[in-house]
Amino acid sequence: MAEYFGATVADIFNTMPKRFKPEEAKDVDILIGYEATGEGGGMWTAHIKHGTLTVSKVEELKGCKTTVHADAETFVGVTLGKITAIDALTSQKLRVVGDPRLLMTLLPKVFVPFTVIPKKKEINVRDILATTESRFRPDKAEGVAMNVGYDLTGAGGGQWTLQIKDGQCKVREGFADVLTVKLIMDAGVYAGMMLGTIDGTAAFTSGQVRIEGDMMAAAATGRFFHKYADPGAQEAEELICLRVTNAIDQRFASGPVMGKWFAGLREKKFLANKCPECGRTQIPPREICAICRVRVTEFVELGPAGTVTNYDLVYFASPDPLTGAGRDTPYAPIYVVLDGSTESEAFAFELKKEDLSRIKVGARVRPVWAEKPTGSFRDLIYFEME
Amino acid sequence: MKEDTTNCFVLEGKMALPNQYFVGRLGSQFIIGLRDKKKITGVRCEKCSKTFIPPREYCELCWTKIADKRVDLGNEGELVNYTIVRYNDKHLPKKAPYVLGQIKLTGTDTPLTHIVTGVDPKDVRVGMKVKAVFAEKTTNTIMDLDHFEPV
Repeated sequence: MAEYFGATVADIFNTMPKRFKPEEAKDVDILIGYEATGEGGGMWTAHIKHGTLTVSKVEELKGCKTTVHADAETFVGVTLGKITAIDALTSQKLRVVGDPRLLMTLLPKVFVPFTVIPKKKEINVRDILATTESRFRPDKAEGVAMNVGYDLTGAGGGQWTLQIKDGQCKVREGFADVLTVKLIMDAGVYAGMMLGTIDGTAAFTSGQVRIEGDMMAAAATGRFFHKYADPGAQEAEELICLRVTNAIDQRFASGPVMGKWFAGLREKKFLANKCPECGRTQIPPREICAICRVRVTEFVELGPAGTVTNYDLVYFASPDPLTGAGRDTPYAPIYVVLDGSTESEAFAFELKKEDLSRIKVGARVRPVWAEKPTGSFRDLIYFEME
Repeated sequence: MKEDTTNCFVLEGKMALPNQYFVGRLGSQFIIGLRDKKKITGVRCEKCSKTFIPPREYCELCWTKIADKRVDLGNEGELVNYTIVRYNDKHLPKKAPYVLGQIKLTGTDTPLTHIVTGVDPKDVRVGMKVKAVFAEKTTNTIMDLDHFEPV
């Protein structure tokens, strides 16, 4: 029987009764005909009636209201979801006579999806031991001389000795006269440990493995070998996602007013300017009063301490604009009315992380400056509570 | 009015834009092939007798799904078009001037764009035979195929 995607057409129909969900098909009465052409094909009917299912292999599709036609490969592929039904339908590889929508909605409801039954190959202890010599790493076992005995109990078990001497490793059946250490365990546990499905340390502490003799030697053996790889294991599909942080260079010309603000920071001072008309302070300073639209020339020093008038707790951080890195959350920008400022002009900056839990409106805060201010916005590190 | 420019200065900064791009299932296979097997893979549409590279899920001519019709391609091909990059920018992979070529690998129907080295920009010509050179240090990107050079 020809196999496609690891299954035959007959597999699909043979497993149908098992996959049938009678409780979902109580009100259904339908006879569906299937024709799979090509190698491994054939004709089948599935009769669903009031919660019962009869699958029969037939010579011709008679009396079927709905019939499905496809080549055997497409048939298996669509059933397994390896080929999308829509693709198969549009490319005419799959043809449905009758109501295709009925099939697409009804079948997934009344059947458990068909899956390939994995062909299990038992991993044999002998197979694993046969690879031991080729997995030996002489460079890791320089000057090591030991005999490790394995007493593997249960089905497929037996007794073996691993002889490591002069940069060579030999495996032979039975025990050597002198054993450095003897490990006693079930053959299945040994296979599990070699395949990485059972943790060696956990197996030992839970008593699945008994060690007689030099415990340190037993622990060291793993180092001398390359890991055993299950030849039948399917590799997980590797998918690549590229992560890149691009940066756009920016230049900012300060102008005389903003320049004065940065010059102030260099001396650990907040320099605001004061509107000659309305008297409000602008922080950071602007050339023109945003309300009176007159030129502002008078600078005043504010703070440095102030009062918190509002704050945000941020749990969903925007990336740091300079590095693109995510920031630690939560953090809190606080709005500080510095001493000497007009009440409506708050200055926004970050609060020291340690003070997050104590912050409240009305709290007094003071700035913490960089050790060596250079005249940039990095000169101010954060505000801390007094 | 003469303005006081004592405190005028320019602040250099940057704006970082973190980005992630999922290469896709086919794209991943393509790059893994370059990285681990040092092999270039394309996909082939039997119906149209066309081989595409980089691999794509559907034939662009007949819309047949060809995602699993992978074919290993050779490392040699022909330069079918090129440009010479004559300016430097930090996003560019090489220092100018360098040749960015379109290489039609033997047996394919679509060209692959990549860097061509080992030839002076003024000696480049369409129809040159070139071969792929793979990167020693891999990065999980198209640059695992490092460049093409004349045969």
